[in-house]
Amino acid sequence: MMKRSLLALTFALCTLGSASADKVITGAFDQGPGGAPGQFNPLTNTAGFTWLNKYYSTLVLYDPAFKTISGDLASSWTVADGGKKYTFVLRNGVKWHDGEALTSADVKFSLDLANNPDSGSGFAAKFGNITKIQTPSARTVVITLSKPNAALLDALTNFMILPQHALSKIAPKDLRNAAWWRANPIGTGPFKWNKLVPDQYVELVANPDYFRGKPKIDRLVNRYFKEQAAAVVALKSGDLDFSYLSLDDTKTFSGNAVKIISGPSQVANYLGFNNASPVLKDVRVRQAILQAIDRDTIVKQLYGGGAEVANCPVTNTKYVPKGINAYAYNQDQARQLLKAAGWDNSRTVEVITYYSDQLSKDVLVTIQQMLGQVGMKIAPRFVDVPTYNQTTGGNDFTMVYAGIGNGPDPDTLYPSMHSDFIPPNGTNRMKVNIPALNKLFEQGQETTSTAARTKAYQEMCSLANKQLPWDVLWSAKRFGGVSNKLSNFIWTPAPGGGRYDDKAYLWDTK
Amino acid sequence: MGLYTLRRLLISIPLLLVISAVVFTLLQFTPGDPLDAYIPPDQVLSAQQREILKVDLGLDQSKPVQYFKWLGRAVQGDLGYRIKNGQPVLAELGRRLPPTLLLMGLGMTVGVALGIFFGIVAAVKRYTLLDNTLTFLAFLGISTPAFLAGLLGMYVFALKLGWFPAGGYQTPGQGGVLDILRHLMLPAMILSVTYIAILMRYTRSSVLEVLFQDYVRTASAKGVRSYRVIAKHVLRNALIPVVTVIGANIANLIGGAVFLESIFSWPGTGQLYLDAIDSRDYPMIMGTTLILAIIILLANLITDLMYGLIDPRIRFS
Repeated sequence: MMKRSLLALTFALCTLGSASADKVITGAFDQGPGGAPGQFNPLTNTAGFTWLNKYYSTLVLYDPAFKTISGDLASSWTVADGGKKYTFVLRNGVKWHDGEALTSADVKFSLDLANNPDSGSGFAAKFGNITKIQTPSARTVVITLSKPNAALLDALTNFMILPQHALSKIAPKDLRNAAWWRANPIGTGPFKWNKLVPDQYVELVANPDYFRGKPKIDRLVNRYFKEQAAAVVALKSGDLDFSYLSLDDTKTFSGNAVKIISGPSQVANYLGFNNASPVLKDVRVRQAILQAIDRDTIVKQLYGGGAEVANCPVTNTKYVPKGINAYAYNQDQARQLLKAAGWDNSRTVEVITYYSDQLSKDVLVTIQQMLGQVGMKIAPRFVDVPTYNQTTGGNDFTMVYAGIGNGPDPDTLYPSMHSDFIPPNGTNRMKVNIPALNKLFEQGQETTSTAARTKAYQEMCSLANKQLPWDVLWSAKRFGGVSNKLSNFIWTPAPGGGRYDDKAYLWDTK
Repeated sequence: MGLYTLRRLLISIPLLLVISAVVFTLLQFTPGDPLDAYIPPDQVLSAQQREILKVDLGLDQSKPVQYFKWLGRAVQGDLGYRIKNGQPVLAELGRRLPPTLLLMGLGMTVGVALGIFFGIVAAVKRYTLLDNTLTFLAFLGISTPAFLAGLLGMYVFALKLGWFPAGGYQTPGQGGVLDILRHLMLPAMILSVTYIAILMRYTRSSVLEVLFQDYVRTASAKGVRSYRVIAKHVLRNALIPVVTVIGANIANLIGGAVFLESIFSWPGTGQLYLDAIDSRDYPMIMGTTLILAIIILLANLITDLMYGLIDPRIRFS
C-alpha cells in the first residue's frame, strides 16, 4: 500500500513538472570564453555580460556588429565641455522588476558603488576620473570628468545599472558576495530572475513590462557545465538550444538540427615578452621570432581558416593603418636577425600559457618546431590561471602565449600596455614601457574628435608593430551552435561576452 | 565492540589533524594564491583594492596563523567561507553531498550486487566459456578509467541511443524523483563498472578457495542442495575478504565519482572539489578534504565491524 502510494506520488510530481507547455530556451550561455558561470555580481564580473544583460540593463549598448553605440536605458545623451561632461537622459517609464520606477538616482548609485574600493569593482579603473555625478531631474544624469574620456561610452556598454532601493541597505563591502545577487536580483531587463539551482542552472521568466515589449518566450534557462564536452553532447542530443563551441567541436556536427554560427573573437593572440627582462630585449630577436613562424600555414592548417593573421594588438580594422610591416614568413631572414643579435642557440626560453585546449597545444608545438628550425629553442609550459597570474605578476618569466580581448574600442588595451599599469598596479603583465605608446593611449582617451582618435590609435598600432612589445600572431573566430528550433536568435562573440543589442525579447522557439 | 568502535573513532582525530596539516602545507607549495585566482588576468584592480580583498580573505596573515585559525574554527564545526562566492563551506558541502552519495550509493549497490553475483557464477562454472568471458570483461572493466568509460557511455547511451539524458542532475523546471533517477542511471551504472569487475575477480577466487574445503564437501555429501551449500557454507566464509575489498575501494569510488561528476555535470562534491582546486579556494579545499577523509575513515571502520557480523568468530578485543 505504502509502496503504491509512493509510486503514485512520484508520477504525480513528474507530470506536474512537465505539464507546463510554455516556451523555453535552454542554453549554456556562460560556456566558453566570454562566460562567467556562477558569477552573479555585475560590479565585479569581467565576463558573462551576455547573460547578465538578460535581466539587467545598461545605459548604452553596441549593435551586434560592434560598429555603433545606441541607447538602452538612456534615450539620448550629449557630450560637452571638450569631452568632460556627459549628460544622459533616461527613457521614460522604465520599471524595475519589482514595479519601482527607474530614476537617475539609480544610475548615480551604481556608478558610486563601482568607484567605491570596498565593492572590489574592476570598473573603478574605467570610471576613476569621474569627479561628480549630478541628478538634476529624475530622468537626467550629468557625469563630470576630471579629464576627457572618449572611451567612457564603451565602458558603459558593460556596466549594469542597479536598483538603489534594493541595494542601499547592504554595505558595499558585503555586497561583493551578497546573497542578493543569487537570491532576488532585480533588474530592468527583458527577463526576471526566477530561480537558481546552484551549480546546475538559472531560470529567468519573461518580464511582461519590459520597456521594449514583452519577450516572446516564457522562460530562459542558463545551464552550467564543468566540461565543455558535456555541453556539446547536450546540444547534440537536443537538451540544449545553444552553446559556445570550439573549432574542433564544430567539425563534429552533422545534419541540420544545429546551425553553426561564427564571428570574430575580437581577441588577438600573441607571444608576449617580459619587456623588463634582458633576454628578449633586442628588437631583432622579436622580429626574428615573428618571421620564423609561418602564420599563414598555422591559420590554414590548425585553425582551418578560422583566424586572420594580425600584426598589431588592435583587432578593429578601422584602427589598423595600411602599410604596417607584415613580417612575412622568412626563415633565412630570421636566422640572420638572430645571428646579428648574437642569440645564444643553446638557450631555451620557457613559454607559459593559460590555454589548455588542444588547438593551443598544437599551435605551441608547431611554433616550437618552427623556431627550432631557425635555432631558437622554446619550451611550452601549460599552467592554470592562478599560476599564470602569479608568474606574470612578478618578473620571473620570459615569454607567454596569451590572448587579449580588445573589443571594438582600442582603449581596452590601455591597462595592458600603458606603463602606469605595470603590476602590482594593473594588468600590463608584459611590463611594456614605451613613453610614446603611453602618450598615444592618453591621446585616444582625451580627444573627442573621431578623426583624431582614429589617428592616435592607428599610430599606436604602427608603433606597436615597429617596436614589438608583443609579437601579435592572429585573431581567431569564435563559434556557437544553435538549435534550428530557434528563431530571431542573435549571438555574436565578444570579449567577456560584451554587451550588444541581441534583442532577446524577440527570441523565439518552435 | 562498543569500546573498539570508540577507540577507532578516537584514533581518527589525530589522523584527521595530520591530514589537514599536510593538505594545508601542500597548498602553500602550489603556485598562485586565492587572490590570483579570484581576480581574472584582465581585471584591473588598484593596489588599494587588492589590499582590501587580502585583509578580507585573511590572506594578509602568516601561514601558521591562517592554519590555526582555520583549525580553531573547524573543531567548532565552522569550516569557513568559500572564497569564490562567500558561501559557507559547510552549506556548499551540505548541498553537494546528497547528489554524490546518491551517485556513489547506487553505483556501489549495483557494483556489489552484480560483482558478487557474477563472481559466484564464474567460480561455480569455472574454466567454462562463461567463466572466461566474464574474466575477460572483468579485466576490460578494471583497466578502463572512469573518465573514458564515462565519455564512451555518454556517447553510446545518451547521444546515439538516446536512452538517457546527456548529463545534468535534472531537467530544468522539472526535477521530480523519476526525472532525477533518469539522470542518475547512466553515471551510476558507469561508476559501478570498475566495482563489478574488481569484486567479481575477488569473489571468484575467494569462492573457489572455500569451494574445496572439507566442510563444503561434507555438506554436499550430506545431500544439502547445491544452492544452499553455496549460500550457507561457501558465501559466509568467502565474503570476508570481499568485504575488505569493498571497504578499501571506497576511496577509488570517490576518485571515479570526481571524474564522472565533471563529465556528467553532476552537481556533487567531486565537481566542487575540482572547482575549488582550480580556484585555489583554500577553505573549500580544506573543508572538502576533511569531509572526504571522514567518509573514508568511517567506511573503513564499518568494513572492520562487518567482519564480526559475517563471522562471529572474529572478536574486537
